Amino acid sequence: MATDPGADLPRRGFHEDFAAILIGVALVVLALAIGWSGRPTEDAGSRKAFPKGWPNRLSATIDKPQTWSDAPLQALVVVDKKDKTKVKPVSIPILLGMTWVVGILAAGTLLRGRSLAAVLPGACFLALLGGLAYLMAAQKVINYYNLEYPLWALLVGLVIGNTVGAPKWLEPALQGEFLIKTGLVVFGAEVLFSRLLELGLPGLLTSWVVTPIVLVVTYLFGVHWLKIPSKSLCMVIAADMSVCGVSAAIATGAACKAKKEELSLAIGLSLLFTVAMMVVMPPFIQWAEIDPIVGGAWLGGTIDATGAVVAAGEMLGKNLDDKRPAEVAATVKMIQNSMIGIIAFAVAVYWAGWVDRDVAGPKTSLAAEAWRRFPKFILGFIGTSIVCSWLFTMSPELALLVDGAINGFTSRLRGWLFCVGFICMGLQTIFRELAPTLASGRPLILYCGGQVLNLVLSLAMASLTFGWLFRQGVTP
Amino acid sequence: MTRPARITPSLRITPSLRITPGLRLAFAVAILAAVWLVVLPSIGRLPAVERHVRLMESRDVNPAAMVYTELEHLPLRPAWIERHLVLWPTGN
Repeated sequence: MATDPGADLPRRGFHEDFAAILIGVALVVLALAIGWSGRPTEDAGSRKAFPKGWPNRLSATIDKPQTWSDAPLQALVVVDKKDKTKVKPVSIPILLGMTWVVGILAAGTLLRGRSLAAVLPGACFLALLGGLAYLMAAQKVINYYNLEYPLWALLVGLVIGNTVGAPKWLEPALQGEFLIKTGLVVFGAEVLFSRLLELGLPGLLTSWVVTPIVLVVTYLFGVHWLKIPSKSLCMVIAADMSVCGVSAAIATGAACKAKKEELSLAIGLSLLFTVAMMVVMPPFIQWAEIDPIVGGAWLGGTIDATGAVVAAGEMLGKNLDDKRPAEVAATVKMIQNSMIGIIAFAVAVYWAGWVDRDVAGPKTSLAAEAWRRFPKFILGFIGTSIVCSWLFTMSPELALLVDGAINGFTSRLRGWLFCVGFICMGLQTIFRELAPTLASGRPLILYCGGQVLNLVLSLAMASLTFGWLFRQGVTP
Repeated sequence: MTRPARITPSLRITPSLRITPGLRLAFAVAILAAVWLVVLPSIGRLPAVERHVRLMESRDVNPAAMVYTELEHLPLRPAWIERHLVLWPTGN
């Protein structure tokens, strides 16, 4: 992604990537330590007793606005699902969530040797805008049709940036790239390699054969056939379409240093097609009389966003109790989620070694050149992923510790960091730069072409694995 | 040097009539407020949309989840999969 204002100033502190790694790793360690200190004394290894992991006390310090239908104030309370009269206010955890963002921006500023006083007012304002974007995303229609918060965070930033522009006092706090990198290091804790094996060989074949083929073919189609001038735009569109939507776009966009405008465009395309596919695919599968299990695997392999995959899978169930298509769909998507780390790493290596290589520059070895250009924060992302995956497989207790830290804290914090990061991106986005590419319609053709290939290959592989090769012939 | 106001036969445009950035922001905010406070709640009351939201709520689905950790229920392998699929063929 393009650099933040002030990135060219002489540095006295850490490089942005190292600051992101230090803060991200510290936050993951903090979440695990707090989870361990509050470990349950009974049934500590029971998944049944703790379906989403051990409770983590940090969960009280962070939350986001809840879904609302008519009045935005409804977003400040959680209504009990069983007893609608029971409500729990969440305004304090929401405010504390904003405080985490301000704190992380402040810590990053100090580590990078910049003036804290210049950043704080802007950081507070950006955190408030993050709350506003989350509030917009929590509107019931928006929420239940999977128009995720990055879209609204970008919109909030774009509206301000393209009307009054970012004021001078806000500029030092516009560190979107740093927030997204820190968010990705924290996100590494959620990318557990052990989840890859959850559906055995059928799941591995469906995800690991189809996804890389679609990714590479779509990228090459964009670069060589459609001749889109920006290779990073082709890569971000290919990754968000073939892997798992917004999260994959963020990770690969950071790995191949895509421009803010390119990431915004890829996310917009992905979310619009996700909504359409979520609505259209379940009735099509029923009309074509595709087996619901195969259909579920197909949904998981093709719809970009995880939430939309589950929603579509639920629509496919024959009745209210038939959760099989949704379960298969969600698990296939989870396997794809777990591939983000490897794909981002591979893209970063390819970009540093081949795409960004300065041919006219001084002759150095490929490895040295690649290392110089390699986005170092990816190592933090992969590192937290490997450590949490290792902990997860050590024992049932540690698996529940990791799950509790993720569900109670790191996934919420990562959401806030991405949200405020996208607001910064929106504030700095100049869509005029993309106008010629957009007007040509080539990004749309690239997305559609890649998605058609994804649909065909995923259906073929899902039919082969879930419908024939590995099927036991038992109907549960 | 300031540019003189453009004069046309029907309209004289003075600097004071220009839409200021502040006005543009106010206009954008007004549109967004109208969409979120009036249009979207109305769409939410359409029968098809209401049905979709009710179905998702009754099945405890969070369609806004970006990754699997944001789902209401972690997609861990259910027992029926073991009966339905040969996960790791042994060749026996």
